[in-house]
Amino acid sequence: MNEFVIAYFAALIIASCLAAYFKYTRAFMLVFSLTLVSIIVGIIGGTSALWTITIFAGLLALAAALSYAFREFLIQISRPGLAKELRTAPLTAAFGMFIIFTYAIAGVFAPWIAPHGQAEVIAGAFAPADANMLLGADQLGRDMFSRLIYGARNSVGLALVATIGAFALGAVSGLFAAVKGGWFDQAMGRSADIIMSVPSLIFALLMLSIFGTNLSIIVIVVAIIYSPRVFRLTRAVAGNIVVMDYIEAAKLRGEGDWYLIRKEILPNCTAPLIAEFGLEFCFVFLLIAGLSFLGLGIQPPTADWGSMVRENATLISFGDITPLIPAAAIALLTVAINFVVDWMLFRSSGLKEQ
Amino acid sequence: MTRFAKKDILLEIRDLQIQGYTDETWIDIIKGVDLTLHRGEVLGLIGESGAGKSTIGAAAMGYARDGTRISGGSIEFDGIELTNASQAEKRALRGSRIAYVAQSAAASFNPAHKIIDQHTEAPVHYRIQKRLEAQEDAMELYERLRLPNPQEIGFRYPHQVSGGQLQRAMTAMAMACRPDLIIFDEPTTALDVTTQIEVLAAIRDIVDQFNTAAIYITHDLAVVAQMADTIKVLLKGEEVEEASTKEMLDNPQEDYTKSLWAVRSFKRPQKSRPTDGTPPIIAVKNVDAAYPGGAKVLDDVSFDIYPGMTVAVVGESGSGKSTTARCITGLLPPLKGEILFKGDPMPAKYKDRSLDQLRQAQMIYQMADTALNPKVRISEIIGRPAQFYSGLKGTALKQRVDELLDLIELEPSKYYDRYPPELSGGQKQRIGIARALAAEPEFIICDEVTSALDQLVAEGILKLLDRLQRDLGLAYMFITHDLATVRSIADEVVVMQHGKVVEQGPKEEMFTPPHHPYTDLLLSSVPEMDPEWLTTVLEERGVDNIGDAADV
Repeated sequence: MNEFVIAYFAALIIASCLAAYFKYTRAFMLVFSLTLVSIIVGIIGGTSALWTITIFAGLLALAAALSYAFREFLIQISRPGLAKELRTAPLTAAFGMFIIFTYAIAGVFAPWIAPHGQAEVIAGAFAPADANMLLGADQLGRDMFSRLIYGARNSVGLALVATIGAFALGAVSGLFAAVKGGWFDQAMGRSADIIMSVPSLIFALLMLSIFGTNLSIIVIVVAIIYSPRVFRLTRAVAGNIVVMDYIEAAKLRGEGDWYLIRKEILPNCTAPLIAEFGLEFCFVFLLIAGLSFLGLGIQPPTADWGSMVRENATLISFGDITPLIPAAAIALLTVAINFVVDWMLFRSSGLKEQ
Repeated sequence: MTRFAKKDILLEIRDLQIQGYTDETWIDIIKGVDLTLHRGEVLGLIGESGAGKSTIGAAAMGYARDGTRISGGSIEFDGIELTNASQAEKRALRGSRIAYVAQSAAASFNPAHKIIDQHTEAPVHYRIQKRLEAQEDAMELYERLRLPNPQEIGFRYPHQVSGGQLQRAMTAMAMACRPDLIIFDEPTTALDVTTQIEVLAAIRDIVDQFNTAAIYITHDLAVVAQMADTIKVLLKGEEVEEASTKEMLDNPQEDYTKSLWAVRSFKRPQKSRPTDGTPPIIAVKNVDAAYPGGAKVLDDVSFDIYPGMTVAVVGESGSGKSTTARCITGLLPPLKGEILFKGDPMPAKYKDRSLDQLRQAQMIYQMADTALNPKVRISEIIGRPAQFYSGLKGTALKQRVDELLDLIELEPSKYYDRYPPELSGGQKQRIGIARALAAEPEFIICDEVTSALDQLVAEGILKLLDRLQRDLGLAYMFITHDLATVRSIADEVVVMQHGKVVEQGPKEEMFTPPHHPYTDLLLSSVPEMDPEWLTTVLEERGVDNIGDAADV
């Protein structure tokens, strides 16, 4: 028993007693269960296990505090209408927004933030971290940290363009299918089915090996692969809107399809589409990372998180976590986007209480 | 009130206060309402929408809907205080001692289970009866409620019986545990007049037979006059007055109550057809129509609408009123026959019509909520037709929108930049009218424009439509099932049944006998303010007859 263990349990027990006394039932249950679990973990894992729990809880608290502050910051800088919406955001969503914000800054200002160029060889292969290189060097001696920053720009940027492409394709055809109906709807629906029936990664590999791994080809292929999902959602949402009386009124007025879509339908289906955009973005991002890992995505020496994982994969066998860092970057972004999307879905669905 | 002794008090609500959560603050919805209900008493709660009728009805079960909370006062049901009763205690009461009949039976029954299975759920759950006993009891109740085939009807699924029958089945279900109190939340509002009368008779009988207390919530005074012993009038969460039905009808005390009573007084002189040979603005000639893949909905429908006149098309739901409107607007091309506009045939499909032909036939819809795009500003909703047909731009367009808003009696500067969800039901309907007017038509189809509105608001809309007709020389085709509306605004009446025109002619003629039997049925089914009306009608028709009234 050292001081740390005594302090650890003392803190937990005092906290649970305080929570119980002030009738914070949920907080009490949480803290006291943690106390009970800690006793078992402490016996099995010793002091180091308790340290891990402390660090983890500390990080969680830090993230929560950061999210809280970031939400407050957003509320202060945004317009009154938007600020009111932001106030309803849970901490997870604020955390997601913070991560997205950080990635965006890193991507946009990559050349100024990164200490070295993405293709610049500055050390020996797999050199360990030092004052010059925050995260060490990769298999060719390039700075891992700089490549990570550039990767934010390349991977995320590419995924963003591809997702926008998928949306432009899927949403427009979905809206037209809903408005026109009949054979046009059937034709679009069946072509979407055909694209969806081929496994996406295989389809992408096939297309990329036929047409080559040009950046624009990657964008187009990925956009086509993901457009049917968007098409289906848009058509379903718009299908509920086109039967409304105001659409009938506009049709009887003699308005064209494009006016109907732009002015009458689109404003009413933005919420689910934005939520879907976030979700699709994650899938597209993972597909591109997967393609890069297989060597058919973004080509070297351009930094990309997917290929960074593959290139440094051998290090895993030496117990080094370097290849996991770009993987963690991907995971963090995916989780962050999903947090924000969850909040948006919650807002746009009827689930929320009045 | 003398009928009920003090010891018989079943439900006593004192100074009830309920709050609703909107825009992150709690707002008072019910501001201190008292209510006393004796055993066997039927209390009518009336008021406009938003007056808090349904909220009080739910509170009588100790229930606060999502987003509301009971913030003060007491609700005592047979000695049990419901405001601080536990969930388990309240659950034990609901269904067995307090039952609820909702407005739309079709939406309240579970479509996946047979009616009788849903009926027996409560008695079996509370161990009052075994399943088979409960089923037999259900059949007996069905018989008492004069449902056809009481032995068999319970074994159908909800979609296999008609709306009126379903509403009666729901009343039977509420009676399943022989509760002390039933709350009827607008049980006949969604029904046709001919069906309504059966349900009213059934409810009244069964409540009498079992000496059940009831709270009857409605906005229709004539209905409440038939059902209730006592009437309580509510306005914006506060009680206006309470008195026995007879006293209330003969001698209302408060101004608000008097205005409610006076609503149906609006009437304007009947106009007759022009005699100088002007062709009808719209002539429907021998139109047959069917929806794709369905049976014929319209069968040889013909009528004329002359300039500046109002033609009311009446009939129960499914009689083809709205389908006729769809044929005129060109949404549903007729199988046979044609639509003439000022003597010239119009193309059958709206897509083949010229802009001018489209401009001439405008529509005002029943549900203003779905008829106005919630994400478009008022200025654009009204401005778009003006811009589209007349090519107005900039200040000219803005001026025209202001003009139209003035015309529908809404302050332009206040409403110009607002969105439809920020408006009340009556205001939305006015915007719908303005949109139709923006096209400068000569003919407007009004599809049940007042049926979703409160009576006071509806009267305002009718007066507005009448003024516009005089000022702008409009012709209206007025689709409705509410004969009171017909009486107040129509010049000519077309009665439809099963897709056929049964009878047509000037209003005065139509409202004086002799009638076609169907017209007669429709007319005699409209509730009147006389509390004896239902009894009289039932006697005239004979009791056995009533269950089949809708099949005449």
